[in-house]
Amino acid sequence: MSFTLRSVKVPPNSVNLEEARHRVFDFFRSACRSLPTVMEIYNLHDVATISQLRSAIATQFRKNSSVTNPKVIDMLLFKGMEELNNVVEHAKQRHHIIGQYVVGRQGLVQDLDTKDQGISNFLKNFYNSNYF
Amino acid sequence: MGLGLLASKAMRPASRIFNSQNPRNFLFRTIVSKPELQKPETSAAQAQPDPPPVDLPPRTPVAGARVHFPNPDDAIEVFVDGYPVKIPKGMTVLQACEVAGVDIPRFCYHSRLSIAGNCRMCLVEVEKSPKPVASCAMPALPGMKIKTDTPVAKKAREGVMEFLLMNHPLDCPICDQGGECDLQDQSMAFGSDRGRFTEMKRSVVDKNLGPLVKTVMTRCIQCTRCVRFATEVAGVQDLGMLGRGSGEEIGTYVEKLMTSELSGNVIDICPVGALTSKPFAFKARNWELKGTESIDVTDAVGSNIRIDSRGPEVMRIVPRLNEDINEEWISDKTRFCYDGLKRQRLNDPMIRGADGRFKVVSWRDALAVVAEVAHQVKPEEIVGVAGKLSDAESMMALKDFLNRMGSNNIWCEGTGMNPNADLRSGYLMNTSIAGLEKADVFLLVGTQPRVEAAMVNARIRKTVRANQAKVGYIGPETDLNYDHQHLGTGPQTLLEIAERRHPFYSTLANAKHPVIIVGAGLFEREDKDTIFSTVETIAENAKVVRPDWNGLNVLLLNAAQAAALDLGLVPESGNSIESAKFVYLMGADDVNLDKIPGDAFVVYQGHHGDRSVYRANVIFPAAAFSEKEGIYENTEGYAQQTFPAVPTVGDARDDWKIIRALSEVAGIKLPYDSLGAIRARIRTVAPNLVHLDEREPATFTASLKPASSQKITLTPFENVVENFYMTDSITRASKIMAQCSALLTKK
Ligand code: SF4
Ligand code: FES
Repeated sequence: MSFTLRSVKVPPNSVNLEEARHRVFDFFRSACRSLPTVMEIYNLHDVATISQLRSAIATQFRKNSSVTNPKVIDMLLFKGMEELNNVVEHAKQRHHIIGQYVVGRQGLVQDLDTKDQGISNFLKNFYNSNYF
Repeated sequence: MGLGLLASKAMRPASRIFNSQNPRNFLFRTIVSKPELQKPETSAAQAQPDPPPVDLPPRTPVAGARVHFPNPDDAIEVFVDGYPVKIPKGMTVLQACEVAGVDIPRFCYHSRLSIAGNCRMCLVEVEKSPKPVASCAMPALPGMKIKTDTPVAKKAREGVMEFLLMNHPLDCPICDQGGECDLQDQSMAFGSDRGRFTEMKRSVVDKNLGPLVKTVMTRCIQCTRCVRFATEVAGVQDLGMLGRGSGEEIGTYVEKLMTSELSGNVIDICPVGALTSKPFAFKARNWELKGTESIDVTDAVGSNIRIDSRGPEVMRIVPRLNEDINEEWISDKTRFCYDGLKRQRLNDPMIRGADGRFKVVSWRDALAVVAEVAHQVKPEEIVGVAGKLSDAESMMALKDFLNRMGSNNIWCEGTGMNPNADLRSGYLMNTSIAGLEKADVFLLVGTQPRVEAAMVNARIRKTVRANQAKVGYIGPETDLNYDHQHLGTGPQTLLEIAERRHPFYSTLANAKHPVIIVGAGLFEREDKDTIFSTVETIAENAKVVRPDWNGLNVLLLNAAQAAALDLGLVPESGNSIESAKFVYLMGADDVNLDKIPGDAFVVYQGHHGDRSVYRANVIFPAAAFSEKEGIYENTEGYAQQTFPAVPTVGDARDDWKIIRALSEVAGIKLPYDSLGAIRARIRTVAPNLVHLDEREPATFTASLKPASSQKITLTPFENVVENFYMTDSITRASKIMAQCSALLTKK
């Protein structure tokens, strides 16, 4: 197997926050650079645009923006690289990408309605699931 | 030494704090109390004249066993491993050991069955007796010195284990009892570490006991628990011991199925894997199951159960101990209905289209449609029916919802059109289920407890066996599994008893604790009020209701009934369903669908695609009892709650949440959005329902009721439960129950 991004071997630990931060940006860039290929492999042209995917990636990064421990950042980076590798390697299938990055956490049933204004929290939760 | 102990006691709080830093404290204390524990004989000998209880650490009785002294003079004292215990006269050595906190290994002894004394596992040494004695069969005598831990006792157990294992197959890896097997556990604890047996093991032909109990008879250790259970508790003479010596076998005498509604309990009492559950065979291992303590809803008894689940699937249901309700048994319907929870489930909201087919829609659309229709009809034309399995929360919500819509036509299935919900004593089992054990005469009016409430029937049977209680029965021909007099089939006999013309009247009047049980099936009769007042006349004449004894009972049929009547689910007019335009069926599958007018809009909220679904216009999927938290009140007024064992199916929601959501969409928001809030609302209506795990007896006893002017009709009473195995939507969906009704109900 030839990995295009052969970076999935454990890199040396970042010495300080500065270095970790640098790596994160590097990784974000490489992820963005691989997007055109991803669009091609998974045939995503009719469901998403590059900029949408880019912001989906950015959201994933922002979710962890509060992490300041370089060790944790390294670990997250490693997981991110693994994920990116799987995507670029075509180790996933189209619905994985769509499910995780295009439709996102909202789920496929976007049961949103303009009528939803003014309904109670109970009803909003009720429409979502039985468990609240 | 006493000083040392005192000192260590004084130090205890400190040692708890410094536990980690100063472990020596801790050690020191243990050493101080050790010699007494290790040499029970010597310490007991020293302690003889005046045993100082301080010296021995207090022991807690096994499983929290309580000693009840019927007569304080009868207390005797025995010594178990040198520890003195006071027990009532007549207890066995084994029970005395239990009170002293020593668990004696046993196979054949079971506290609710007669004593057989044939496994010999419970051998202990008793001072001055030449041989070890079987403690389960030996009555304790005053001053007896019992030793449970001596080399003799240990050796005896080891020997018994070796004999038992001689003919026991080595198939634990494929045995369903594996992991909860008494033989496994006890051979680990008391058995020898090697066997000396080299011959062939014997094998026994398996017996066919029907669709519920699987037998692997080679595994049987001939403890005869199952035989005693069948004859004593279940009251069927189906099982027996055939052959003697090494040819001994358990079986039905002739090729025959075991026809008892309690047959599943032999699975629990069999100490090995000889009798196991057929539907559960090879499905799961008991250590991978999650147990949820819950309540059964298939009848009005509210048996305590444990739902064992793996992931989202209910794997089996087993009983939980509750002395007041089901002791430790459950009926077969309770135990085996669970496969119905996986079939025929409704999992999405649906609307019936113009072509008569159901279309899956979102909750938003379904609620909107229903809310709109509900507003288009006149308030009097709105009708709500709560089903047999409804919990108190959802019935409260449904009642509040309909009341806010302006309608008061709401009732619960099976309570009839004109229930007497004002006095709790008029619809509860006032004697309480455990209280039935005191009775000496029973009069069953239009009820067949064996099929309506199997656990109540087991109590009656227990009483009949223990007190030789007499049972008189009025109703259609039936098969009760105890001696009874069939007095008649209809109200005619009742009138005769009321007029003191019938011979049974004197039996009833002379009884110390007479009990009358009236079936809830009579609620549906036209002349219900007259029948009830006739029964009350009998009760009055025969002094069935006295300040110290209330023997007038109603035996309800469904889990929801008692709570429904407590909450006041009483219809305003008797025939509202014939003129209804909007019918809300909350799990109600036994309403007469032909009565609903053709142009009515029917909403069905429930968990199974059962009878009413065929008539429904909209379906709301709801959670079944294994998936929700809900309060149920049993027939004696004991409020208990279920707990969710598994997640809901598909897009289903809890019942009360659906109604709460619908109310908001309809613009009449109900003021509760949490379980706590709705229970607070219930508290204002029927506070007894939120006092969980407590029996709230009816305070008032009737006799204030005006005499009814209805004509009594002489039509005989009818069978209320046609088929014990299929009474509600869950059991009707169950394949096992279908097999049972095909094979076991007598044609
Ligand atoms: S089948 Fe089970 S309960 Fe019955 S005698 Fe054998 S071991 Fe005992
Ligand atoms: S338990 Fe005592 S002989 Fe079986």
